[in-house]
Formats: sequence, C-alpha cells, structure tokens
Amino acid sequence: MECEQIAQLLPDYLQGDLGPDQQHNVEAHLKRCADCSEEVALWKKLSLLPVEQPSPGSRARFEAMLQAYQAGRSTAPKTNSRWGERFSSWNSLRWLRSPLGRVAWSTALLAVGFISGLYLANSRSSSRDLAALESELASMKQMVVLSMLQQQSAGARLEGVTWSTRDQELDPKVLSALLHTLRHDPSVDVRLAALDALSRHAGQPQVRTSVANALQDQQSPLVQVALIDQLVEWHDREAAPHLERLRQSPNLNPAVRQRADWAISKLN
Amino acid sequence: MLQVRDGAGEMLGVLFDRYQTPLFNFYAKLTGDRALSEDLVQEVFLRILKYRQSYRRGTPFRAWVYQIARNARIDHFRKFPRERAFEPEMLPPVTPRDSAEEQQEVELLQRALQQLPEEKREILLLCRFQELKYEEIAGLLGCELNTVRTRIHRALGDLRKAFHRLAQGAMQTKTKAAAAENVPPGGGHHGM
Repeated sequence: MECEQIAQLLPDYLQGDLGPDQQHNVEAHLKRCADCSEEVALWKKLSLLPVEQPSPGSRARFEAMLQAYQAGRSTAPKTNSRWGERFSSWNSLRWLRSPLGRVAWSTALLAVGFISGLYLANSRSSSRDLAALESELASMKQMVVLSMLQQQSAGARLEGVTWSTRDQELDPKVLSALLHTLRHDPSVDVRLAALDALSRHAGQPQVRTSVANALQDQQSPLVQVALIDQLVEWHDREAAPHLERLRQSPNLNPAVRQRADWAISKLN
Repeated sequence: MLQVRDGAGEMLGVLFDRYQTPLFNFYAKLTGDRALSEDLVQEVFLRILKYRQSYRRGTPFRAWVYQIARNARIDHFRKFPRERAFEPEMLPPVTPRDSAEEQQEVELLQRALQQLPEEKREILLLCRFQELKYEEIAGLLGCELNTVRTRIHRALGDLRKAFHRLAQGAMQTKTKAAAAENVPPGGGHHGM
C-alpha cells in the first residue's frame, strides 16, 4: 500500500525533481521495498544500453534528399506538384531500400541537384525565386539558433550564439532569445558570448537598454565587468543610473565596484 | 544562388548532425529494424524542411522534433501494417569492455525492454533516452501530466517483471547447459 503512494512520487524522484522531504521519504521506502528499489536500479541501468550508430551512408542520403528538395523548390512552380507527389510517396518506394536502388536513387538525386544548380547559377532566375529561397534560409537559420539556445549543454548553446552572429541584421525573435540568454543562462561563458553577439547590434536601442538592465541580474563579476566595459564602449549616457545602482548594491565585488566608478567617471 | 542553397543545407545539416543519432536510437529501440529506422530519420528531416513554418518560436524544439518523429512512424505503420511486432535483428553486440556479468544484464535488459508493449517501451525511451521532460511528453501524447507519471511507473513495473522472467530463464538454461547462449523468449509463460 505504501508502494502506491510512492508510485506517485517515483517518476519525479527518477528525474531528481522532488523536494528534500519527499526525496527522503522515497529513499526510506526504497530501503524497505525490494520491488521499488529494483525499479529504480533498472531505470539507472537503462543508461547502459548501447547507443546505436546509424550507417555511414545516412548523411549522404540526407544530402541527396536536401538537394532534391531544394531542386524541386527552385524549379517551382511547374515541377512542384511532381516533387510533392514523389515525396509524399517516399515511404512507398520500398524497393529503394535495396542497395542498388539506394545508389541509383542517390545518384539520380545528386544529378538533379547538380544540374539544376548549374542551371540556376547560369540563368538569371526570377528574383521571386531568389527571395523565396532567401527567406527560407533566414527562417532555417532562425530555427537553428533558437533550437541551439535551448540545448542542455553549454557547448551547444555557445554554438547557437555563434550562429546568431552570422547575420548582419538580427531577427527580433533571435534578439530576444539572445537577451534572455544574456540574463538567464546558467553558464558564464555562454552569457559572455551572448554579450559579444549583442555588442554587434548597438544600433538597435533595445539592445543597449537591455544590456544596461541586465547589469542588475548578474552575480558573476566576470560578466558584470564585461557589461560595464560594453556600456562604456557605447558611451551610453543613459547607462549611468544603472551603473550607480549597481555600485550601491551590497556584497558587490570590490573590483566590480572600482570598475563601475571608473565607468561612471567616463560617462559623465 | 548556389551559396544560398548551400547555406540552407548547412543549416539543416547542423540539425541533422545533432539529432540523427538520438532519433535513430529512438526508432531502432522502438522497432528493432535498422533499415526502417534510417528511413524514418530521413523522413523526419524532410518533414522538418517542409513544415518548419509550423514550429512555434519559444516552444521546446526537441519536443517539436519528436512530435514529427512520432507522426512519421504512425503514418508509416498506417501505410504498412506490421507483420511482426518486433524484429530483434538489430540486437547489437555488447561492448567487450564490460564485465561478463554486466554484459549479460544489459542484454537481458534490452530483451526485457523489447518485450514491453510498444506504448510502454515508447514512453520509457522518450523520458530516459530522449531527455524529454514529463510536461513535454504529456504534450506529445496528448494526456495529463499525472497520466505520464502513472504510465512511466507502470512501464517500469512491467520492465522489472519482464527482466525477472528473463533472468530466471537465463539462470535455468545456465544450470541446464552451461554452454547455452540464447535466452529463451519466455514471453508466453509467466513465472510471476
């Protein structure tokens, strides 16, 4: 009967989402109950299952699919429906799974991609197509950045920030994601990278205000100093009150306070 | 023009590099069919390309990808109903660095997982291997958060029972014939 109560808590316990009291209760129960503790042990052992690697050809197949898709898109609208049909019946082309079929299919798609690439490069295709592709590219880029910024690992988020710097103009959604990263990312490195990425967009007033505002949230002296330096570099007079407030906050690192003093004297 | 095309490819390529192995493992562990799993991974990326407008900014990207992945699989089996529930052709060789005992445990665990009904196997895969949060799984399966918790607990309970059956079977074969390597399926007769 006790197991039933624990059953409600066990899934959260497995994710480490319980408060200390509840966690203690579950652990006490696990010591007494063989079945439940075995379930927890199995859960942990699941991580030992080997990670399967896809076959090496899958990347090439992906490239071929991509090229075919883009070739289909750029020769639109005439051939659009034909490509649409082909893709909707992607699954029904089971014979393509035979090795010979795969090679033939990939080669054919590569050829289509290549030829249409050449064709498009040589002939001035209509600007409408180009615009469509460009907006496609932009939305893809945006998706990559936004998805990367949500990743668990700091390395991946860092990569996301780097991706965002590839564009001259920052999409508003990417901008707000970057600002969010600057304020709330748990990793100092990622926050610093976000600041660096944002520093390229000083022209947007929203960026400057947000960077000045971010000053209050920061606990890391490293990031605080970087923010202060950035504000000085921008000669942003409106930042002075923010700096003043920072200076007066208790428990401030002395080096940061010194830097803030220097910044205030620079700005005034 | 070519640059634009390459650029878009590069973008999706980044996503491909990041997600192809987790997705492949999701499918492979779920269906036991490597070739089919690779096909489904390709299908997922095609759908990402086609339906990327439907991704709502600010929502978890991973959950969106798995939504697509689930749908791709459901659509596939709608078109091609399965003859067999699970083809264990892909049971991988266990890495030799493990001790023999651990190796056997992992093998048993794998088989136990395969014996679970598909929806139970799926929910364990989603939360244990795909790092999805319970809220995200609830959204994915279209059910309440508490239902997710209950289902995970039940799936884990079933896994334990299946593991036990297999472990007992393995012990028996071991004592009967020391050389026996294969664990009997044991799904038919319940010891518990």
